[in-house]
Amino acid sequence: MHYLRLFLTYLKLGLLAELEYRANFWIQLVQTAMELALALGGLAVVFRHTGDLGGWRPAELLALLGVYFLIGGLIRTMVRPSMQKFMEDIRKGTLDFTLTKPADAQVLVSIQRFELWKITDVGVGIALLAIALGRLSDSVGPLQAAMFGLTLLSGGLIVYSVWLILATFSFWFVKVENILVIFMTMYEAARWPVTIYPPWLRWILTFLIPVAFATTVPAQAVTGRMDPTTLGIAAGMAGILLVVSRAFWLYGLRFYSGASA
Amino acid sequence: MASPVIQVHDLRKIYMVGEREAGVLAAVRSLVRRRTRAIRAVDGITFHVDAGEIVGFLGPNGAGKTTTLKMLAGLLHPTEGDARVLGFRPWERDREYLRRMTLVMGQRNQLIWDIPVVDSFELNRAIYNIPPEAYRQTVEELVALLELGPLLHKPVRNLSLGERMKCEIAASLLHRPRVLFLDEPTIGLDVTMQRRIRGFVAEYNRRTGATVLLTSHYMADVEALCRRVIVIHHGVLLFDGALEALVERFSPFKLITVELADLPARDLSAYGQVVRQDEGTVTLRVPKAITPEVTGRLLADLEVLDLTVQDPPIEEVIEQVFAQPEETTLATGNGELRPELL
Amino acid sequence: MTAILTPFQNLCAIYRGFFRTSLAVQFQYRVAMLIWLLGGIMEPLVYLVVWTTVAQQQGGAVGGFTVQEFAAYYIGAMLVNHAVFTWIMWEYDYRIRSGEFSATLLRPIHPIHRDIAENLAYKVLTLAVMLPAALLLAWIFQPRWAPQPWALALFPLALVLAFFTRFFLDWSLAMAAFWTTRINAINQAYFVVLIFFAGRVAPLDLFPEAVQRLALVLPFRWMLAFPVELILGRLTLAEALGGMVAQLIWIGLGLILARTIYRAGIRRYAAFGA
Repeated sequence: MHYLRLFLTYLKLGLLAELEYRANFWIQLVQTAMELALALGGLAVVFRHTGDLGGWRPAELLALLGVYFLIGGLIRTMVRPSMQKFMEDIRKGTLDFTLTKPADAQVLVSIQRFELWKITDVGVGIALLAIALGRLSDSVGPLQAAMFGLTLLSGGLIVYSVWLILATFSFWFVKVENILVIFMTMYEAARWPVTIYPPWLRWILTFLIPVAFATTVPAQAVTGRMDPTTLGIAAGMAGILLVVSRAFWLYGLRFYSGASA
Repeated sequence: MASPVIQVHDLRKIYMVGEREAGVLAAVRSLVRRRTRAIRAVDGITFHVDAGEIVGFLGPNGAGKTTTLKMLAGLLHPTEGDARVLGFRPWERDREYLRRMTLVMGQRNQLIWDIPVVDSFELNRAIYNIPPEAYRQTVEELVALLELGPLLHKPVRNLSLGERMKCEIAASLLHRPRVLFLDEPTIGLDVTMQRRIRGFVAEYNRRTGATVLLTSHYMADVEALCRRVIVIHHGVLLFDGALEALVERFSPFKLITVELADLPARDLSAYGQVVRQDEGTVTLRVPKAITPEVTGRLLADLEVLDLTVQDPPIEEVIEQVFAQPEETTLATGNGELRPELL
Repeated sequence: MTAILTPFQNLCAIYRGFFRTSLAVQFQYRVAMLIWLLGGIMEPLVYLVVWTTVAQQQGGAVGGFTVQEFAAYYIGAMLVNHAVFTWIMWEYDYRIRSGEFSATLLRPIHPIHRDIAENLAYKVLTLAVMLPAALLLAWIFQPRWAPQPWALALFPLALVLAFFTRFFLDWSLAMAAFWTTRINAINQAYFVVLIFFAGRVAPLDLFPEAVQRLALVLPFRWMLAFPVELILGRLTLAEALGGMVAQLIWIGLGLILARTIYRAGIRRYAAFGA
């Protein structure tokens, strides 16, 4: 309850800060539109030459694209700004303020900043999903919807945990921002179903930088190609990464305060 | 109060830092075996602070002041030793403890840059879970004391450094902490603003009875606020006692200023070390023990218009303390010093 | 021996100086540099996989490209793109906002020389990663290409022209930083158009006729797709020579544009400051 109220407070502050720079909204809108044009244009060219891509029909790839925008938008709205602020705080020493607050530091660090205009990506993602689902309506029942919700949640948690782990490295290294660039670069690859990639690349995108769980897997759920194993792996991966990232965070924090020294 | 609010016993913080010589070869060697060196930032200090005291924490850069403050604020684990603040061991970071203390760092900001001050306050209200009524009352009080009225609804980026610091302090006090750790709260501010913040800290202490531990490079802060000072140097406690006692103990000199009738004055170095000489006024530094005698001789030998005897300014005393080489700066407890220093 | 240098020798000396200092500075940021390279490898790799999949589904070839030819196209595109790309927009945005640009103005030399030298220094340094990456991809995807000898001979020139075609236009766009602090939207719009018409999403042959015709009159094809198609042996001699004429025209236009915008920008900078 307390943390929910905190979350809402930060959300409000994020909105206030964004309202200070209203023009950014229009700029963000242009950027989202461009991103969308690139993605849809790519699909259009591909489907000029084939009826399906590795077994994925146009409407199914549209659903995948919707998930890609949705998760990408959430990363850019909530996860990335907070993690960037956290790394900045370590560099400037202002993390001390966070640590002297009577609340869980991981929670504070993870919800401390929002860039709300980036929500346009989330909007586009939802719209794309709606269109795609409209076309796929015959194959999506309540079971698929439930699995979609579950895999989407798992994907979101996996992405968050990976970001937390990467950001936690800044307790030891100064320039970690660049690692985050790696994540965003790999995420771009997740715009296409990972099933088309050669095995080595699929392995990287599934386990090393697990973006596959954020886009391909939820899209599989909604296009009726989900098997229980994948569902189990996604949920298990989310649980494991949550625990691992929490442990790593606490370890980093102990290092920061010098318990191990 | 029965027991002290802050109890520090033989607190130590030793950092291991990697050491590397210049050159590629050394860099490669360090991959295999890192040579480390122990930095004894805080090397066994012991003191108590009672409820409602304002204590000045003095020392040159790197003396261990901030490290000590951070340990007491729960940000750093000590390597050895123990400390209790309000009965809590700070680095266990008990939520109850965090709710009752605050840390203000003069060089760092917690307010959010792009939004009005009052919204950053709201955030702290949410984090500290302050009931609405208490929050309203505290804000009112702080606004009155610090004259924040016109600042509350401005974005932080539009405030001057001094205005921002006032708001930073207010934000740190919304939860009415019982213990305040102030690390250089007036650094970089102009003299008027320094005085105002000083006045506020004194007033807050008087009203709430909060305990304050403060570091500052400005002796004016210390003189105005702290009856008691703790001096640390090279991580070791050098002095703990009244400010006057510090001057008394550390400065074996007095300053005699004489105004003479016959200018240009003769060479007065026979009476003591000439510190300053302009127009007809000369300032001499004289060992404390012979001050009465020198004063008598000056009055007898010269045509003196005016003569004053003063303690040297506190800055100078402190400077002298810190000029001591490391091995001679050993403290022996409360207000006691090794005789060879005197 | 203080022989008077000709203007050309002087410029060469200046370039050598810029080149050396840029190398030294960039070497300091080698980890960041490597990470930024990743994007330049991942993008062609992703589209290569997509088109390989399509080609395999269509019986081994699509739009005149076999699986092996797609591999050659995208590995070539990766290397050519590495040679021609710039990050100058962000550079100018930073320089102008931080006020660093004022120092640049004090130098008795046009700032574009430093920018070209820095770009080349980065490219040379990072070739140490891009070449092995290209070889690795070649080993995995088995490209096939059969260029004519004359195409091989013309390729270096086409590549240099492609570099300048892109550089002057990018540089002109970078001047937008004199007028606005919000360059991201402009850049992104530019890049999306570039990515399509330069042939990065797909070889231009796979686009509808109308797009292909439009690509002929836009500058982007000449920045990337043209040199790649040339070295893959997909062009006739006439097409190759015609393409180089198009490159020269765009370089000329780019130079005029860069010059005009730069002058206007400087006037504005002088009037408003950083």
